[in-house]
Amino acid sequence: MITAHSLTKHYGATTAVHNLSFEVPPGVVTGFLGPNGSGKSTTMRMIMGLDAPDSGAALIGGRPYCELVWPLREVGGLLDAKAFHPARTARNHLRWLALTNDIPLRRVDEVLDQVGLSSVANRRAGKFSLGMSQRLGIAATLLGDPGVLLFDEPVNGLDPEGIRWVRHFLRGLAAEGRTVFVSSHLISEMSQTADRLVVIGRGRLIAETTVADFVSRSGRGTVRLITPDLAAFAEALTGAGATVGDGDGASLTVEGLSAPQIGDLAAREGLRVHELMPITVSLEDAFMELTQGEVEYRPTTMAGAAAAGEGE
Amino acid sequence: MTQAIQAAPLGHYRFKHVVRSEVVKILTLPSTAVMLGLTVVAGLLVTGLVTNAALHHGSGYYIGFDPTQEALTGLIVAGLTGGVFGALLITGEYSSGTIRSTLAATPRRPVLLTAKIAITAAVMVVFCELLSFVAFFLGQAILSGGGAPSASLGSPGAFRAVFMTGLFIALLALMSFGFGLIVRSTAAALAAFVGVVFVLPLVMRGISRGDVRYLPTNILVNSVMSTVHQGPGGIVQPLSAGLGLLLMAIYAAIALAAGAVLFARRDA
Repeated sequence: MITAHSLTKHYGATTAVHNLSFEVPPGVVTGFLGPNGSGKSTTMRMIMGLDAPDSGAALIGGRPYCELVWPLREVGGLLDAKAFHPARTARNHLRWLALTNDIPLRRVDEVLDQVGLSSVANRRAGKFSLGMSQRLGIAATLLGDPGVLLFDEPVNGLDPEGIRWVRHFLRGLAAEGRTVFVSSHLISEMSQTADRLVVIGRGRLIAETTVADFVSRSGRGTVRLITPDLAAFAEALTGAGATVGDGDGASLTVEGLSAPQIGDLAAREGLRVHELMPITVSLEDAFMELTQGEVEYRPTTMAGAAAAGEGE
Repeated sequence: MTQAIQAAPLGHYRFKHVVRSEVVKILTLPSTAVMLGLTVVAGLLVTGLVTNAALHHGSGYYIGFDPTQEALTGLIVAGLTGGVFGALLITGEYSSGTIRSTLAATPRRPVLLTAKIAITAAVMVVFCELLSFVAFFLGQAILSGGGAPSASLGSPGAFRAVFMTGLFIALLALMSFGFGLIVRSTAAALAAFVGVVFVLPLVMRGISRGDVRYLPTNILVNSVMSTVHQGPGGIVQPLSAGLGLLLMAIYAAIALAAGAVLFARRDA
């Protein structure tokens, strides 16, 4: 469990993170979504104890990072794919890391195997491609078999196969009951990897919710209806209080009534339905809608509402 | 978490864990062997050339001749490469990004930094003492082989000079580590180190000739390495070896303390 309590961080006159509170529960993948420069990395650095917040606190299992007794056995963090010395071999990088937390050295070969780097373990890490570097970074997070894992943009620069591997891997970690917090500015990526979302913009919380809820709440509840009885149906729908838009001559787009309500209406009125289809707004659309313009930033959770209400 | 692969040991990570890891870090960097190897080769080469050049002169040449100091001249090279080595131990972490992995593994910064400084000091003291004694023996062998006056460790001040020269170079490396900690960039740290150790004496000479003796390079050559205490040209009385070494320790401590304060406060 990761908890952020009213985190605030300024760099000079710039506010990187403002009054940010959220929770990351175990057992699911929580996506940390926001445009580039929205404060995701800063937040993760504060969770990892690398940057000190100006106010507020980030806690892991109730404690700040610097008070963890065996940090690598409790938290695995991949904040930067290149956080190793280029002249050191992959194995030696993991060896010194293991020694810091009294982790048995056999774990080094185990995690190298787990991420598929065994064959290049004795090569200098500086020669690695970005994808291999990411894998080495992931191997480092697994060394201490931690219950909490953080990944900052782990699929950046990966090829499609690598992306699929990371996605599968993150979900596997969460399925084992671990807390998995993964940031991305790629909405499509998050929609396939994450169960829950913490969405921020300009350092402020926009939403803390599930992926499904985020999409449905942001969608306008539009339903597409294909019917031969266009005119009669439009009249009935309008009569029932819906807003009806023209489709391509064979369909209608309906707002204000759900698909079941439209189906019931059709049965009552004896109108023919050929197709009835709720239009799911993509995560991307939902995101764009929520983040258009600074004034549009509105938290959608109670905690966030209280936090941002006093913030502006 | 459902299954732990291994149970965490009791207690928490300690100084000894950080020390073990820092030792592995130093040993697994190719630059360690390169820097230290270069220091040995260049240092002994200079000692060999300097002592060889002191052979076959008329007897007047050897008035005030200090065979110990002649033999230790090669250690000035170690002062430069040792400084580079010391700075790289910390700036290498910043330039590569390793520092973030290090702090994630051992976030208590005072423990981490104490271990790093202790390791740097231990490596440099052992290495510089060895080099200092080897240079001394090499120099004396060349001098005596060529019939010039030579010294032994039993000669007045010789052991003190050889031993303190090793310590002094180690302190130079620690001061450079401190610079590295302050500026966090290899280029800037080396500029600061070379500036203080090799450029400042030249500048200072034009400003206040009497104060040159307080500078690291002058302490090294005139106070620590020499056993014949008469200033070059007899103009400026150099500091005593003990006072000179103490002053160098204070310089190193100031650089390290300033670096430590910044390290504890700054974002990584």
